[in-house]
Amino acid sequence: MLGFFVKKTASLAAILFLVSITVFAVLFVLPGDPAQIILGINASPETLAALRSKMGLDQPFVVQYTSWIGSLLKGTGGHSITYDMPVVDLIASRLAVTGPLALIAMAIAVVLALPLGIFAARHHKTPGDFAVMACSQVGLAIPEFWLGILLMLLFSVHWGLFSAGGFPGWATDTWGSIKALLLPAMALGLIRAAILTRLTRSSMLEVLQEDYVRTARAKGLKERTVVIGHALKNALIPVLTIFGLQMGQLLAGAIIIENVFTLPGLGRLVFQAIGQRDLPVVREVVLFMAAAVVIINFLVDLSYAMVDPRIRLTG
Amino acid sequence: MKATLRSLLLLLLFLVAAQPAFSQTPVKGGALTVCQPAEPPGLDPTANTEAAVDRIVYANIYEGLVKVDSSGGFLPGLASGWEISADGLTYSFNVRKGVVFHNGEPFNAEVAKWNLERAANPDNGNIHPEYFQGIETIEVKKDDTLVIHLKTVDALFIAHLAEGDAVMLPMKGFEKAKSNPIGTGPFKFEKWVRGDRVEMTRFDGYWNPFLPYLDKVTFRFIGDPAAQIAALKAGDIDVIGYIAAPESAMMLEKDKRFKVYAGTTTGEVIMSTNNLAPPFDNKIVRQAIAHAIDREAVVSLVMFGYGTPIGSHWSPGTPYYRDLTSRYPYDPGKAKRLLAEAGYPEGFEATIKLPAIYSYSKRAGEVIADMLSKVGIDLTIEIVEWGQWIDRIFKNKEYQLTLIGHVEAWDIGIYAKPDYYFQYDSKEFRDAYAKALQAPSEGEKEKWFGRCQEIITEDAVNGYLFSAPSLPVMRVNVMGWWENYPTVALDCTSVWLKK
Repeated sequence: MLGFFVKKTASLAAILFLVSITVFAVLFVLPGDPAQIILGINASPETLAALRSKMGLDQPFVVQYTSWIGSLLKGTGGHSITYDMPVVDLIASRLAVTGPLALIAMAIAVVLALPLGIFAARHHKTPGDFAVMACSQVGLAIPEFWLGILLMLLFSVHWGLFSAGGFPGWATDTWGSIKALLLPAMALGLIRAAILTRLTRSSMLEVLQEDYVRTARAKGLKERTVVIGHALKNALIPVLTIFGLQMGQLLAGAIIIENVFTLPGLGRLVFQAIGQRDLPVVREVVLFMAAAVVIINFLVDLSYAMVDPRIRLTG
Repeated sequence: MKATLRSLLLLLLFLVAAQPAFSQTPVKGGALTVCQPAEPPGLDPTANTEAAVDRIVYANIYEGLVKVDSSGGFLPGLASGWEISADGLTYSFNVRKGVVFHNGEPFNAEVAKWNLERAANPDNGNIHPEYFQGIETIEVKKDDTLVIHLKTVDALFIAHLAEGDAVMLPMKGFEKAKSNPIGTGPFKFEKWVRGDRVEMTRFDGYWNPFLPYLDKVTFRFIGDPAAQIAALKAGDIDVIGYIAAPESAMMLEKDKRFKVYAGTTTGEVIMSTNNLAPPFDNKIVRQAIAHAIDREAVVSLVMFGYGTPIGSHWSPGTPYYRDLTSRYPYDPGKAKRLLAEAGYPEGFEATIKLPAIYSYSKRAGEVIADMLSKVGIDLTIEIVEWGQWIDRIFKNKEYQLTLIGHVEAWDIGIYAKPDYYFQYDSKEFRDAYAKALQAPSEGEKEKWFGRCQEIITEDAVNGYLFSAPSLPVMRVNVMGWWENYPTVALDCTSVWLKK
């Protein structure tokens, strides 16, 4: 168990190091002079030159890279050029939107997908199974942003139940903030529910064919105990894997929905920062996202062992 | 009895008729939420040319000595008036008395002097130090008059003082202008929720005791066109500063809850042409292209009829405008003849690079590619990311054609720079522009700025397409919103809400 932790931590460090070099190098060679983008196209050449040297853009690659890593190790990190605040604070404030958004979305997905998937598997090849599969097929085909706009038109414009995007902020209006996350979380969650439902169903179908399930049934156990206690636990492993992948994806990739609902989340932050060449922000958010994905996968690994004690954590 | 009834009825009729007139008196109070599509990179208009910055802070939080009114004229701002000497070299500004910054610091001629001197130094990050480098000396007289002596006559000096680059910052607290702007304007900055909104509230110490009418103004950043409309319809926002998708303006115009203005702006949308890249280095080719573009059709196809065709780099809302749209009437036959004369009877192939962030540019690019194909010019469209556009096209001039809006007012001077991305080199233009800048009288300014417009039209430097419409959309109870945008600003000073 200890070895598992050591190995995982080492691999996290290695991944972060590689990501840091890659993102730095990519941004370094990317066309688009940050100083020019910051000042706009009509800025005077003198002012441009002054800003370029202030930002250290006239320094060689190694100098720029080491000074960045140095600031990270010191714990200060960079300073956003467009937002005029420390990137760390910026990430924290954005995570306070994207984190809950991803959690609510995945909660909606799981609450819908598990019962529906189990139902479809147990009623294999019946009209009920067919209906669930048809719905999930539709869910897979609908693009997120379109579902988001549809929900907005229905709930905000037509019924006036929710505001059409925006985020009041946790400190200003807690209930309003939760409400602001519900529609976008629904748009994200419903689509992920479609994927998880199909996965739960096929995984359950496979497990329900196993000998031990037949044995359990032969023992005279209640169907409920057979399905929940025996089959589901084993069927969950692939579902968990996909769940973890999607959770990581949501932290980094809820960008389209964040744009549609104008949520100040991480995805929108990095998207805007790339466009504006706010390099300190891009670098550190990408690094953070890489770390988040690695850590979520690590948690998923841990959960395997909880679901199935036969799995040993040896890294 | 009958007479009394009649007079009563008359009185009633009069009251009913007079009702609209009474309700036009501005009412104080209320909060306004404005959608400004792009989030600004900082809130200091002296440190960034990005239009989003000025749209939020100019005239609302910050003011300069001179202001622009809604019809494009120059109004007293922090200077209550000014006089220009007969030789055009000395400007005396009467600095307004009793003006304070939002943080309580007083504003006076000394502060104005400090601001102008600071702006002239590129190390301080002003984007247009050249606007102020023509100043020789600044004197502060006893009665708080600010006397500015220029090295040479500058016809645009007042115009530049009215721009965001010349707003007055406080001598203490100017360092944080980017994230905590402190000005003298009618609204004081409250907070900037990054990624969501900027909030400002009424400044009770504003020098004009009658203004502003509103208690609070919030600028929300909603980039997605569909989301903007949904937010307006859901009642989350009152005004969309300018609509990115003109087709939705058409739809909203039919909705009784909203009103749409299609006024003028300072922005000219042009097909920028690299005047050194063959075959566009040939004037006849450029003139042929000018004949091959149907501007009216471009406006109706790209902007759904909103916008005004232009014939030169000057928008109809700016003073000294000269209508040159009839110089190159749409005539594909003539375009073909000119191309043959230039040595391209069969036409040629070229590339147009369009910046991905502007939907009007991509649309207009497609329409123009189609128009040019009718005269034998085969355009390949390449969509370019904004950062790359700045690098490859604007800086390195690796392009033949591109298409973009130039939003700054009074920017015809870019044609006097041969290393600007058009790579247009004309001594005739430079001389005319120098004469315009040094014009001592209005008549001379009219003549020489007009001449500048004519020269670039004659040389068909770029494809002049249309002046962008203002296109604000708002709820019908929003009053006093500017119909035209003669400067880059969403000025809320005189905006009020009808009860």
